[in-house]
Amino acid sequence: MELFLQYLANGLVTGTFYALSALGLTLILGLMRVVNFAHGELYMLGGVMGWWATTRLGLDFFSGLVLVAVVMGAFGWLVDRFLIERIRDQGEEPGILLTIGLSIFLANTALLVVGTAPLKVEAPLSAAPLILGPVVVTKLRIFAVALSAVLIVAAWLVIQKTRLGRAMRATFQDPMAARLVGVRTANVYAATFAMGTVIASLAGMLLGSIYSAQVAIGGLVSIKAFVVVILGGMGSFAGAIAGGLLLGVVEALWGGYVATGWVDIIGFAMVILTLLCRPYGLFSKRAERA
Amino acid sequence: MQYWKHALVIAGLTSLSSMAFAQESIKIGVIEPLTGSVAYNGIASLNGAKLAVERRNAAGGVLGRKIELVVEDGQCRPANSVNAAEKLLQRDKVVALSGAFCSSATAAVMPIAEKYKIPFLTGVSSKADLTEKGMQYFFRSAETDRQMSKVFSKILAQQLQLKKVAYIGVNDDWGRGGVEDFSKDLEALGVQTVMKEYFDHGATDFYTLLTKLRASKADGVFVAAETQDGSILVKQFKELGLQTKIFGVGSWATADFIGLTGPASEGIYAAVPYASSLPGERNKAFVDLYASAYKEKPGKYGAAGYNAMNILLDAIARAGKTEPDAIRDALRQTDYAAPNGQYRFTEKGEGYGFDVVLVQIKDKEPHVITQARTEKP
Repeated sequence: MELFLQYLANGLVTGTFYALSALGLTLILGLMRVVNFAHGELYMLGGVMGWWATTRLGLDFFSGLVLVAVVMGAFGWLVDRFLIERIRDQGEEPGILLTIGLSIFLANTALLVVGTAPLKVEAPLSAAPLILGPVVVTKLRIFAVALSAVLIVAAWLVIQKTRLGRAMRATFQDPMAARLVGVRTANVYAATFAMGTVIASLAGMLLGSIYSAQVAIGGLVSIKAFVVVILGGMGSFAGAIAGGLLLGVVEALWGGYVATGWVDIIGFAMVILTLLCRPYGLFSKRAERA
Repeated sequence: MQYWKHALVIAGLTSLSSMAFAQESIKIGVIEPLTGSVAYNGIASLNGAKLAVERRNAAGGVLGRKIELVVEDGQCRPANSVNAAEKLLQRDKVVALSGAFCSSATAAVMPIAEKYKIPFLTGVSSKADLTEKGMQYFFRSAETDRQMSKVFSKILAQQLQLKKVAYIGVNDDWGRGGVEDFSKDLEALGVQTVMKEYFDHGATDFYTLLTKLRASKADGVFVAAETQDGSILVKQFKELGLQTKIFGVGSWATADFIGLTGPASEGIYAAVPYASSLPGERNKAFVDLYASAYKEKPGKYGAAGYNAMNILLDAIARAGKTEPDAIRDALRQTDYAAPNGQYRFTEKGEGYGFDVVLVQIKDKEPHVITQARTEKP
């Protein structure tokens, strides 16, 4: 029982991290219909910039987080205006090719600039053990889970409660009608991509402070994020959270009671099952564009 | 004008010094990864080799001739390394080859060396079966995992007094092989195996694995991992408040590892083939030489490159001529006094007789706990 509680806690913590790392992907996919294969590299850039800000510039963690958000937001905006803009409304294949190309470019540029060595992002809190009854966690992890929750809620509020969010949803439902009523759809698309980029890079920096940032991590992050998005349903907020938590807990229990060496199997088995039984994911709204 | 004067003076000096070596220089081919993911280590190995050559040339060369290294980038890839070997053998006419670094690249170069009947020595590639292929011109002056396991199992069982050991390895040939070798040797010494688990390259969260470790009540844990995975694992190990003795193989006890792991690295043990803090005059001289040339202390790969090149140069001197067959026969007679022991070769070309070291990390420095000699396999 004691073991079970620890496994469950481990699973919930990693599940929250999975949800946060998948959020940017699901947002861009759901609102823009762009399958962003460069998602993992945006996450990686967040981690690398976090390392640079906290160890090279000597900023504290939170100032670093703000800096990363501002720089990566601008970067995402520019990527949309200069690259994705050109292939909008041409179907999915050009978008896939473009983002794959972007991911290769970003990964190799980062490799050239900072090299292969793992990088350390200075954490805001200590990682000393904190014993809560039968379960051991660290302050840092509790903080990271809380910050993840804050980021997820903030993103949800932006989309549901603000003017910008309404414009995003309107553009997604029918870009022509949105343009007719005066929404500047080009800006809305750029803002959406920038938001997805910011969330991905903040996840990269936050998790970099717990694990470590690494240039070559992009591919792995993308794969996990796709698993979460397919489980939860494309573009669904609740789905990303449920999919992330589900994956985290199942992996922890599988690793704990079966074998840790086989842990990646379980995620893909769940994806195949989902695709067979509920092809639109657990929480999909099945919204199709007119 | 000033510039031309300088150039003339330098040209004059070079021709003077080359008169000392009236005959043509002896060329030795080196294939190392100079670009790509292991470039950092490949360059360290090359630096070691260059140091050995400079030292020898300063003392008059070998057979009265100057030694010249011809270096090619093999990128740790079999195809590139084979191209490099062909070029070195056909165009540069080298008398011996060294390197290739990665086991798969070395394995690809071996048949080429065999075809041209040129001696080929690796100082790094550790895959056990390289020396089992019946090659006549291949030698290895590197520790294999099998040798490490044999030596360290005794130390773990007897000196650290471990009774129940858990094993964690990265999920590949090397990690699984390490876990299998160590668990077999330790079980033969009466140490109980309480857990065997693997994780994938690039894994980031080890809490589940470590929870299992805590439940297994092991008094020691063996970990086969490289820098990135190993450092995260050790950090999370301390986060969970575990007290088990950690014993690692892989690139532990390096400055990179200690920097990434931070205070969590205190007290862990690592099995390494070389540490710059080894006692002995020969090692001290080598460390001083290396540090004055490259402004850093030599690591495992710097020492490996230095040793391999010295073994080759000694063999050429002993052969008395640059005939490849004569060098090969002389290599078999190797008895080289290295900074870390005395290298010899078996009939299959497997090196032995050198020391491997158990270090413990204290105050961010690896301290030598004990060293042991590899026995003839």
